[in-house]
Amino acid sequence: MAIKEIYSDILNEKIHIKKLDNGLEIFVMPKRGYTKKFAIFGTHYGSVDNKFRLSGQNEIIEVPEGIAHFLEHKLFESEEGGVFNRFSKLGSSVNAYTNFNSTCYLFSCTDKFYENLSILIDFVQSPYLTDENVQKEKGIIEQEIRMYQDNPNWKVFFNSLKSLYNEHPVKIDIAGTVDSIYEITKEDLYTCYNTFYVPNNMMVFVVGDVDIDETFSVVENNLKESFKKLPGNVERIIPNESPDIKNKKVEEKLAVSMPLFNIAFKDTNIDLKGKELLKKDIQTKIILDMIFGRSSKLYKRLYDNGLINENFEREYTFDTSYGHSMIGGESKNPEKVYEMVCSEIEELKNKGLDREDFDRIKKKFIGQHISSYNSVEFIANTFTSYYFKGINLFDYIVELKKLDIDSISKRFYEHFDINKSVLSIINPL
Amino acid sequence: MLTRFNPIELNRSIRFHTIKSDKFKTNLIGIYIQRPLIKKEATKNALLSMVLHKATKQYPTFMEINKKLEDLYGAVMVSDVAKKGERHIIKFKMQLPNKKYIENKNILKEGLEILNEIINNPAIKDGGFIREIFQQEKENLRDKINGRINDKMKYAVDRCVEEMYKDENFSIYEYGNIDDLNEITETSLLDYYKKFIESSPIDIFLIGDVDEQRAKELINQTIHFPRGSIIDIPRENITKDVNAIKEVEDNLNVNQGKLTLGYRTNIPYESNLYEASVLFSNILGGGPNSKLFKNVREKESLCYYIFSKIEKFKSLMLISSGIEFQNYKKTKDIIISEVEDLKKGKFTEDDIEIAKKSIVNSIKSLTDAPNMLIDFYYAHTISGVTDDIDQIIEKIKSVTKESIVEAGEKFKLDTIYFLNSEKEGR
Repeated sequence: MAIKEIYSDILNEKIHIKKLDNGLEIFVMPKRGYTKKFAIFGTHYGSVDNKFRLSGQNEIIEVPEGIAHFLEHKLFESEEGGVFNRFSKLGSSVNAYTNFNSTCYLFSCTDKFYENLSILIDFVQSPYLTDENVQKEKGIIEQEIRMYQDNPNWKVFFNSLKSLYNEHPVKIDIAGTVDSIYEITKEDLYTCYNTFYVPNNMMVFVVGDVDIDETFSVVENNLKESFKKLPGNVERIIPNESPDIKNKKVEEKLAVSMPLFNIAFKDTNIDLKGKELLKKDIQTKIILDMIFGRSSKLYKRLYDNGLINENFEREYTFDTSYGHSMIGGESKNPEKVYEMVCSEIEELKNKGLDREDFDRIKKKFIGQHISSYNSVEFIANTFTSYYFKGINLFDYIVELKKLDIDSISKRFYEHFDINKSVLSIINPL
Repeated sequence: MLTRFNPIELNRSIRFHTIKSDKFKTNLIGIYIQRPLIKKEATKNALLSMVLHKATKQYPTFMEINKKLEDLYGAVMVSDVAKKGERHIIKFKMQLPNKKYIENKNILKEGLEILNEIINNPAIKDGGFIREIFQQEKENLRDKINGRINDKMKYAVDRCVEEMYKDENFSIYEYGNIDDLNEITETSLLDYYKKFIESSPIDIFLIGDVDEQRAKELINQTIHFPRGSIIDIPRENITKDVNAIKEVEDNLNVNQGKLTLGYRTNIPYESNLYEASVLFSNILGGGPNSKLFKNVREKESLCYYIFSKIEKFKSLMLISSGIEFQNYKKTKDIIISEVEDLKKGKFTEDDIEIAKKSIVNSIKSLTDAPNMLIDFYYAHTISGVTDDIDQIIEKIKSVTKESIVEAGEKFKLDTIYFLNSEKEGR
């Protein structure tokens, strides 16, 4: 049960880490002078983990789509009454989210931090599922799914994932479908809970003006007897994904005023680990900024031609088994945007990326990364997300500062392959 | 760790507010320009917030402005409009990393210079804004106004407000309207800009690790607003007799119905019942412990989201939810009866305590978020309140059950809005 510290001199921030014998890691980052305290109890279990095999068993367990998210909803139920109520009484706000790779429970408070922390640690370890309360949740989640069906940004995003990937479960909607959630039973939920809500698959992250030792001991003192490592490892079954895309183009109609588009590039350099994975992440984001950012030639050309407006965004999303870059926005002519994106990439492949652009964008990334440490939410959420990918957030700024144009160029040629790109469009009705 | 200094009047109706703290990695500057929310100006204000940061005398293209911002370690510059009651606020904000963490020791001054360039030194030609830039932004604003339907949740709230305040300026959409947009030219907008910049009350906020005196010097060196005669912006009227409840329905091809109810609270923010009205709304629909969340969502499984909130300046309470089309009547009836129950005092001391703590928690949390904190202080500034955070919290804490009921009795349901499908729904 060693306690160690990691320190970043560039950021002037420190994180204290304690790893328990049962495998649970606890992180505390003091933020002196901050009023708000923020904590996450997270599990490395998300929407992609719907097929798995337990140690020593032959049978593959396959569960309905959307189950990780369903479980997230249900953990707020407890035998003694609602979990919300316990936090509300302390004046704090509790929440949770499920993404592709993790489910995180969190609260923020300005008072009675250790009591709040005890409740967080306790409720996540105390599932209370009945046939009745599982049934009741279906109507609520159905409305959540319908809300997303009316969200054009969400639709254009998921349609592009469904076109990029043939088999990989990242293409599945995080909340599942109205049909799939109605199949979910109490037993399915317990199976998933017992498999993935175990200490060596989870972590706790705390940030704020807190006492380090007391935080560690509050977490430890609230761990239950039942909270134990599983014997052996769970095998997550991720089907083999071809490097090729599934469909070149996907279109749908919704009640919108003008077309929305998403251009996505599939990453084929996958299965990297640790710092190599982190470097790839930063390199890709810098390239995206250099080519599609507000100071780029392409941005100017698209904007001046009235093909894009201020809602023109780019991002790179990844985990160990997948990755994709996305460029999205609104346009009267998404086909034309796609064409110009492709020809810009071809041209840059001949000319090479510009060193001055690289230096400037790198500077921007340094400044904005440092600035983001203002926010305890950013710190906790980003740290957690990187942790489950095997990355230490403090390495980000170090690796960023070391980046040179050569590694950027290499990544550019490798990743931005037109044959690995798709165009997703939402058209007005 | 966080000190708010009294505002200083730098020039006629230019107030400068410093908030000093060493806990942030950044300095943030916010410039708030205030106009009345009136039809003939609203579209122009929105368009200005889009045109100004596209080109300046020194940086004649958007590309050059952005190169400069990137070079300042990714300085973030945003401009937008916001509606505060019947005031239209045009905001410019710039966030820069603090010099402690980077190599440019002059970054704050350079950032302020660009901000001033953007607001006070626009690129102009032949008595107007540059035609190509102006035309482009005019089209973008047109798309934005037409794009209101894209965010169904916000659209249903905006439409309710629009119907509820049909004959009042509060119904004006913050981005304006197409008819007025069509009339604007690059020269008419520049004429308006000149009047706008010299006659509007302006508040400048700076939050970061900067001494007040040094901050004032920097602002005086870099930000130069011309001053003419300053307009007076009247306090909005909040009372109106409601004779009959309006029920409005729109039809769109959507997957989920959106229900919005608008209540006139009839309690101005100057009233000592104002805090009680905020608590009323919080107990009703402020969070997961609220009556609406517990009954409409948890008990009846009718929705995923439901909330109520108070618009401070116009004394309005809005309730909003996303539901199955055929559940319209059922949901509406439950919501109305929950409001009626609260008016009758059917809530506990526990409910009050929880609501108070939740509000206090959100207010205290603001002190860690520079961007939200200056917006919060600004909203107080325009309502003429000079209370600091602790005094605001005290007012919340001292509200009694009697005053919440007394406040609730004044609430009048005005409009029920439903965004329904085009199909045969209910």
